[in-house]
Amino acid sequence: MWTKIKWGFRILLLLIVGLFLHYTLPQHDVVQIINTYNKLTPIGANAIFYSSGDTGTGTEMQADTRDIRFIDAVYPDGRTVMVYRNEDTGWIWPPYFKWDSSTLQAEAANLKSDKAAPTWVAVTHYGWRLEWLSTFPNAVAINPVAGPDVRIIPWVNIILLTALALAIFMVRRMWLQFRERTIDPALAGVGDTWDAVDAKADAARAEASGFFGRIRAWFSTWRAKK
Amino acid sequence: MIVGMARLIVLALIGLTVVYFLVSIYSKSVRREKLEKEWDTDPAREDVPEADRTAFIEAGMDVYRHGLKRRLLWLIYIIPMIVFVTIIYAVNW
Repeated sequence: MWTKIKWGFRILLLLIVGLFLHYTLPQHDVVQIINTYNKLTPIGANAIFYSSGDTGTGTEMQADTRDIRFIDAVYPDGRTVMVYRNEDTGWIWPPYFKWDSSTLQAEAANLKSDKAAPTWVAVTHYGWRLEWLSTFPNAVAINPVAGPDVRIIPWVNIILLTALALAIFMVRRMWLQFRERTIDPALAGVGDTWDAVDAKADAARAEASGFFGRIRAWFSTWRAKK
Repeated sequence: MIVGMARLIVLALIGLTVVYFLVSIYSKSVRREKLEKEWDTDPAREDVPEADRTAFIEAGMDVYRHGLKRRLLWLIYIIPMIVFVTIIYAVNW
């Protein structure tokens, strides 16, 4: 029972982290731009999927409706379409530090093409198109590419995910070192003083299992000895 | 705009300082453990008094405090700053 709950919790956590990374990390679409425009957009409960109010186009208008730039595009199959928003990002999250929405909009307009003579571009973006929440991926960069079949190597994602894996590995190493050098010796001391009352020591040891149990037991070694 | 930037810098400094201290504690601890093991696994030092062991470890820690490895910990501040500037350049120009 507890194992199932624990695994369920772990899978849920992994899913949340995965979705978070999928939303935030840059992705590339090879598309043809078919339209660029501004639209007064009401922002309500879906505000988390838009830039914060104090950035970019939001600066002029502190209301729940603001003028947002959009870019319409079509994928190489000629039928699937995508609508990108084009907003400045804030300073904290997502950390793209994008201030050039106007320039990007001009670039998009410049690269606009019609079906007869398509110009293919790679749109770097983050975010999701969720129709039911009215959210749009935010375009970050637009670059012309040779054709609809080019393969783009996601270097940024490779580097970031490698760094993330390294960071997780380091945190684990640091925790193990801390446990070995600081918590376990302290707990061993507790065990010694309690050896007279064997049952109590066993209880303490049982309680000191698992991540939080160890931390709790370690904190209790700080308390004054009775 | 300026407020946002100031907020980012303050938050980043706080966050990086926490990371810096945690990593520096870890790095110190690893070095101390290495010195202890070096002493404890040497058969020639089996009957040497405990005070000599402490002196040996403290001398080793002193070398560490003035060594290159400790100075490399400043990269914890420097690398994010480089990344920050690189992102700004790559996204906006």
